[in-house]
Formats: sequence, C-alpha cells, structure tokens
Amino acid sequence: MAAALAEDHDLYGPVIDPPGAEPRFDRVEDPAAVRLEAAIPYNPPKSVIFPQAERIMSYTYDRAARRAEIVRDDHVRPKALVGLRACDLTGLLCLDRFFLGQEFVDEVYRDHRKKLFVVANSCVRPFPQCFCVCTDSGPAAREGYDVNLTEAGDDYLFEAGSVKGEVLARRLGLKDAGPGAAALKARIGEAAVARFDAEATQNKAWISRVMNRVTTGFVSNDIWEYIGDQCFECGACSFVCPTCSCFNIEDVAARSGQTDRLRSWDSCSYEGYTRMAGDHNPRQPVEDRRNKRFFCKLSYSQSRKYLRPGCVGCGRCVRVCPGDIGMSNVVTYIRREIAKEGAE
Amino acid sequence: MSTHSGVCNFCGTGCGHLLHVDDGAVKGVFASPGHPMSRGRLCVRGWHIHELLATEDRIFAPLIRRNGRLEQASYDAAISHAAERLSRYAGDEIAFLASPRASNEDNYLLAKLARTVFRSPNIGLASDQGHGDAADVLLEGAGLPAMLGALTEIRRAKLILVVGADIARLNPIVGSEIHLAARNGAELISLSSRRTQIAKLSRRHLWLNPGTLRHALAAVAKVMVERGWEDRAFLGSRTAGFEEFSRYLAGLDLGSLTAASGLTAAEVEDLARRLAGAGSAMAFFSSGISGLDRGSVALLYDLFLAAGQVGREGCGVNPVTGICNIVGSYDVGAGPRFLPGYRRAEGPAAGRTPRELLAADPTPLKASLVADRDEEIVRHAARIRELECLVLVGAFNTPFLEFAHVVLPAATYAETDGTYTNTERRIQLNRRKIDPPAGVRPAWRIYADLAAKLGAAWDYASAEDVMKAIAAEVPAYSAVTYARLEKDFGLQWPCDDRHPGGTARLSVDDLPGPLKFVGGPADLPAPAVSGDYPFLLMAGKANYFWHRNNIMKKTHIPKREYNALLLLYPKGFVELTAADAARVGVRDRSAVNVVSAGGSMRVAVRVSEDVKPGTAYVPYFIGDMVPGFLNARGFSLDEDQDSVIPVRLEKA
Repeated sequence: MAAALAEDHDLYGPVIDPPGAEPRFDRVEDPAAVRLEAAIPYNPPKSVIFPQAERIMSYTYDRAARRAEIVRDDHVRPKALVGLRACDLTGLLCLDRFFLGQEFVDEVYRDHRKKLFVVANSCVRPFPQCFCVCTDSGPAAREGYDVNLTEAGDDYLFEAGSVKGEVLARRLGLKDAGPGAAALKARIGEAAVARFDAEATQNKAWISRVMNRVTTGFVSNDIWEYIGDQCFECGACSFVCPTCSCFNIEDVAARSGQTDRLRSWDSCSYEGYTRMAGDHNPRQPVEDRRNKRFFCKLSYSQSRKYLRPGCVGCGRCVRVCPGDIGMSNVVTYIRREIAKEGAE
Repeated sequence: MSTHSGVCNFCGTGCGHLLHVDDGAVKGVFASPGHPMSRGRLCVRGWHIHELLATEDRIFAPLIRRNGRLEQASYDAAISHAAERLSRYAGDEIAFLASPRASNEDNYLLAKLARTVFRSPNIGLASDQGHGDAADVLLEGAGLPAMLGALTEIRRAKLILVVGADIARLNPIVGSEIHLAARNGAELISLSSRRTQIAKLSRRHLWLNPGTLRHALAAVAKVMVERGWEDRAFLGSRTAGFEEFSRYLAGLDLGSLTAASGLTAAEVEDLARRLAGAGSAMAFFSSGISGLDRGSVALLYDLFLAAGQVGREGCGVNPVTGICNIVGSYDVGAGPRFLPGYRRAEGPAAGRTPRELLAADPTPLKASLVADRDEEIVRHAARIRELECLVLVGAFNTPFLEFAHVVLPAATYAETDGTYTNTERRIQLNRRKIDPPAGVRPAWRIYADLAAKLGAAWDYASAEDVMKAIAAEVPAYSAVTYARLEKDFGLQWPCDDRHPGGTARLSVDDLPGPLKFVGGPADLPAPAVSGDYPFLLMAGKANYFWHRNNIMKKTHIPKREYNALLLLYPKGFVELTAADAARVGVRDRSAVNVVSAGGSMRVAVRVSEDVKPGTAYVPYFIGDMVPGFLNARGFSLDEDQDSVIPVRLEKA
C-alpha cells in the first residue's frame, strides 16, 4: 500500500533510524522503512501540513512605482502520511477545524491539506505515555482518515474513509472483509481499552473533572504560579503538541532582492508572544502564559473551536518538558486542589 | 530521511537535535529523544537554531579593505594579503582571538597557526571569563581540568548545590536535570545573591550578600571541620593537604565570615551538615560567559573534597560552560594559559590575551586575527580601531566588520564536519548536512591556507584528518576517532587507552595520586557600603548574555524573546526592591542615577523582589553601560560573577 501511495505522493511515516532509535515521523524514500508497529513517534506529524518554517509568499516592492509584486508560493506537493495513530489523527482534525473551520480559512494550510492522503493506524494496545481514553481520542480511529488500518492478527483491516480511500482499495485489489469485520474492529478496540490500566501507566489524567473546573475558572493563582515557576519557557510543549497551531509571521529580505514572508511555529509560552504594539502585554508573567495554555486545551469556551477537548492524550508534552508540567501533571495539580477543597 | 542527527551549537550543554534538511537547506529542528543527556529536550535557542542556519545575513565573499571600504576579493588574494600583513608583526604587537563556538578542528589549527607559524603565544578566547580559573583549580586539585561529575548522573545526586548561576536561563537543560532530580527527592540548595529561577525551585535558597560567596563557602567549610563532620576515611585514604586546609580554616573568624555573607549561623551549619551527610553531592557554577574567581572555585572544591563528595557516582564539582565549545577550545590549546592537552603555558610560551593587551594603555597590540567575535559589546573600541591589521574569520555578518581590514568567510557548523566538547567533556561530532554558499571554506581550511602562504605545508585533507592530529597531541583525546564518535552520542574525555569508552566522571578508583586540597584565598575582603554609597550593585553578565550576541540577532523568535525586557526598559534597568525604590522616591520604570566612586549612569528602575534589600542588580547588556559606566570606573566584568560596586541611587 505504501508503495502504491509512493508512486504519486511524497511518503511520510514512522521510521526507526538508526536501528534502536526512537520512532519519529520522517519522509521516506523506501516504503519498506515505514514502521507501523512503532510506538508513538517523538515528533507530531503536523509538520507535514503545517511546517515548522515555511515561506508562504514572496514579494518585490518597487519603491518608485509604489507597487508590490506578490508571488504566492506554490510549493505544495502531494503527500501521504501513513501510520497516524488515533491521537495524532484527532490532532489533525483539530488543526483542520482551527485552520479551515472558522471564519477565516487559511489558504496555505488548505493547500497542504487537500493534497494530503491520510492513513490512520488504530491502536490495538496503549503505550506507557498514552491517555487518549481520558481525552476521548482513541484508541480506535473514528473519522477524518482516507484509510484506517486496524491490526487483526497477521492482517490489517482496511477501512476506506473517503473516496480517495475507496479508490486506493480498488487499486490494491483488496477483498471485502465480510460481515463480521465491524464487530471484529469493535472487539479489538475494547481489548485495547482494557489494557490501559495495566500498560498506560505514566500519564493517568482525569481530565473531564478538571475541564469543568478550568471552564468555570475556579483554579487558584497559587497553582498557576507553582506551574509557572517550573516553566523553562522553551516552547517545546507547543511544538510537540498535535493540536497546537500558533504561528509567527516574519518578513525577511532575501539576498535576491525579494522579500520572503515566513510562517513559523510560535508558542504561547514565550513572553513576546502576546506582546502588542505599544508594548502592552496581557500575559507577561509566566504563570499567566501557562494558564493560557491549559485554558486553550481544557476550557470549554476555548476548545469548542475544535468541537472537542484540545488535548488528544498523546503524552508528548510530558516527555519533552524540562520542568514537570506536562498535561497529566497539571491535571493532577488541579485535581489535588479540587480534592483538598472537597475535604475542607 | 530528511532529518539528521546533530548537536546544538549554542550553549555548553550540547543537546542532541535533529535537523530537517530539504532542498539543500535546513528547514527545521527537533529535539533528539535518544541523546543520553538532553533526552529529547531543547531550550528556546535550540528550538530555533534552524532560523540561524537559514539566515542570509552572512559573509559570502572574502573582503579586503581598500581606501576605507571593504571590497570583494578571492580567497587567494585575501589570504595572501592577510598573511603578508600579519607577518610584519612580532611579540606583543600581534595576538589571536579564538571563538568558543568554533569546532575543535578550527581552534586546534588556529592555535597551531599562532604558535608555530607566527611564533606567537598570544592566544585568547572570547567570552571565556573564569573558565580558565576553574580548569586551573580542578587540574591542580583533581588532575581533571573540567567538570568532575557527569550531567548524566545528576539524577543520582542526593544533594545538589547551585552556586550563583541562573542555570535555568544559562543552560536550561542542565537546569531541567537539576530540577527533575529535586522533584525525585534530591536536596536542592541554591547559594546566590539574587533569587534566580532555580533558587525559587530549590528546597533552600541561601540568599547571600553580594560579593560574599567566598565568605559563605569558607564559613561552611570551617563549621564542617570544627564539628568533625568531614569524611575522615576518605580524607585519609584518598587526599593530601587536609591539615594545611584545616589550619587555614582555623585562622578564619567564623562570626565575621557569617556576618559578611548575610546568612545565619543556622543556615551555615545546616549546609555543612547536609553536605557532609549526603550520600552524594554535586556543585554547579557558571564558567565561561560568567565565572567564579579562582578563590571561590578553590574553596568550593576544597569544601566538597572535605565532605568526601568527589570521585563517586552522583558527585562532582561542576563548572557549566555557557558556550558550546569553551571546554574543547581549552582542550586543544586555544584558550589562554594552556597548551594542547593542558600543559601549562609557562615562560615564553605564556602569552597575553588580546583582552589583556588592549587593556594596557598605551597598548602594544597592532595586529590581530579574530574568529567569529559574536559578542556585540566591544570594549576598547577606540584602540581596536587603531589596529593596523585586523583579520576576521567568520560565517555571519557582524557589526565588528567595521574594524576589519581583511575578512575571510567561513562555513557554519552545519556546512562542515566538526567536533565540539560540551561542559561534561563530551566530544560530539557534527557531520556536514548542507553545502556552504558557493566557494565558502571551513575555518580550519582557512587557517591551513594561511599557514601554507607562510611556508608551513600542513597536510589536512579533511576535518577528520585534523582530529587525528588532535588525538595524537592531546592525551585525553588519544582514543578518539570520528568512527567511534559517530557510533554513539560522542565520548567523554579522558578517552585514551585506559578509558577507551571515555570517562563519565572522575572516579576515586582511577586516580594516579591523591586528590589535593588547593587552598583558600589569603584574604577575604567583603564589599563595604558607606554613607556615600549605601547600596551594593551587582553587575550580572550571564542572564542576558545572548541578547548581546550577534548570532542571536539572526534568529526571529529567540531575538524577540531576548528583546522582551529591552522593550520594556529601553535604556536598561536596575532592579530594586519595592521598599528601596520607595525610599529613593522612585517607582517602576522611572529614571534613577546610579552613582559610584568612578562614574554614574542613568537607567530605569525595575521593581523586583528577586534582590535583597540594600542591593541592586544591573544586567550588563544595556548599550553604553559596559564601556561607559562599568569600564570608566576601572571595574572589569572580567572578574568574578559576583562583581559588586558600592553605589548610591538618586532620583533622576
């Protein structure tokens, strides 16, 4: 399947390179290098359609004539992203809703997205860092894919989720799985969920209770200061998060004489992120920036643009944080406060 | 694949990263989860190194100054011109300034060029305050002139003492390791004059009076020995010189030491007890961008030695370098005072650094070859302008070009092979990932070309060849090869026949002789306030160092972040407590004159509870502050990190 996709797409998927390394999403030339069985790759797949740094247009300005000539960048190639686990797939849906589902439609993202073929890989077991069952984003992929694969013994159940998926199925000559397939997929999903207690041990996070608390705003400032003290202001949580979409635009004069407009990842953990002209900064202290992040993910009023919670339970922020303030820890701190109040 | 493993080129932590290369250019960076030390973390700088590598604000062609203007030339013409001009000078007329960010290969050949071709011992290293002192003390005391512990063992330390450094900002991932160790139960104690982020995260912050670190360390050592808490078994079997150290301590007055330090007797005693009783303990201090003076390092080392916290797992006295290859520069002989392999440069081999030569008035210096020179603040600008021949080798465009007569563009670290040695002695290989701009050469090749012009035919076909030469001359590198470096995430020196896999940390079972007490400083003057100058002003270099670093200006996000404070306080700031500000009659953002015996400056007030009452803090990065206020007084930030000036504050 990967080989077929590779014929007319740039292929991306989880790879383990060199052998023994941690899995990561990367471009692959050889379809055999895609490792579907790999654990959650360290980096999120969003860079495929929302690159870390991207030139979105360039222009030359004729000062005398007072006229700018603008060239939209048309560099987007068809890409196939194989091996998206349910959490990352849900992240993709959040980005779709953010960039395409609001009043302003992001043309650059839309261009990437339309040329993307998505092959999801429903999880049959959790990894230690997972908590998608807490964020209703797995382990089985539900929607938004062109193809979904579910490992069933030696085979994979292949589900087409779109016309593109159906076309691929016919091209590969796949045979119908029969009437029991849906029930089989459901059983596999239940078996996966049942394994969370024993195997997904690192990040149990009872998010729903905390979402309620964060939404209604009753989290004391002490907690945010406790979290803020531990923030190293590195931005990593935003960069590894499958749903984070904040970006910075910068115009850079190129040697050739034109000016390039660059879009690059940004992070609300940075002090300069919300600073405005006139130097007013509504979130200057670090604790205010931290509470913004968790409101964005957990508060109903901010996450409703995603039509679901803003966290997908992938556990990456926990691993990458130099402090100890990944999602599951923050949820724990807030829950402790709720519990303390309950005891009073 | 389009992502390739490499090592960050900013600070001395040397985190692993993955560079995303597409279409011959670096387009992104990601943290490398497999790196044994950084384990998938990066700081704001590391997360944006791709912005630096993508910049077109570079030097693309060799330049020669003619009739006051820099004009393009060929490498051959520029190198010939530079060689001919530089060779006119001798003795203290000529000096070389190496870059702490350049590779071992670059710096080894620069040092070789200076010493063997120009026959000049005058080599210095930019942004290197204090590391030489730390190396000196640790060499004398432990035979290992760098971090005694290993960063990978931080999680095994039972007690961690952070001395002075705002480590969470200087080397964030080292700060992270320390913080996570504390969250897992390690006792974290900060000893500093300012309440830094790591101090806020510490179980105990021992809040020192400015300029009294030596007093505090001496007091703790004295109490430890007076109470008999020192590790006698260890001292008896593994060390030499303890009796002399005891006598030194006995001659000190505990009461006045404690009083000067601003700590309570209970705090001093508590630290002594904990340090002596901890199963393992590490000390961290900044070295390089900002460093402790020799006396402080000596006392810290002797204190840890007395407590038996040297040479075991989870132990160490650990200078943390702020720039990626300060340690390597010293290893290969490009730092002042040491030849390659840490042979002390003595007699005619002991040269003077460009900084020392320029500080003399009049200066004998007439010519210099300078690499990179990232630090924007130029002291002695007038004297540098008077130089007859200044040759600059570097990759990035820099305002320093205005001083140069010949400019030779170099490749960036992603455009050439090279090794860099981080603060825990880990030699790491960065492979070339992209091509340099057309015709641009790596710095090591430029030095070889200069040597060739002057009749010295070196034979290095590649950076790897240079490493072979380094391995042959530097004993601690003798078993290092590119192949071995590439197999894992580098090797920590000493890496020789006895330690083919490298050496994570100093180990008591592996010592050629006893560990030696180095001895404390003879005098311990405490900064004094007076009626005229009732405040103690701390001038801090490390926190905002990267703000005044030229390469940071080539980025977007880090540049924005380092600028954050400057936008709020465009003319600089002095931190005061709210109570002190009220007493002076000023408030946040209002102007104040800071007056010392040697001069005054006008800055804005920044109210902060991170300084002690009666003290003030000024970051060195503000425009005219260094050449103006600080240098005018004869005060030099080249001294210890805890540099202190008595001042008074007047509402402006």
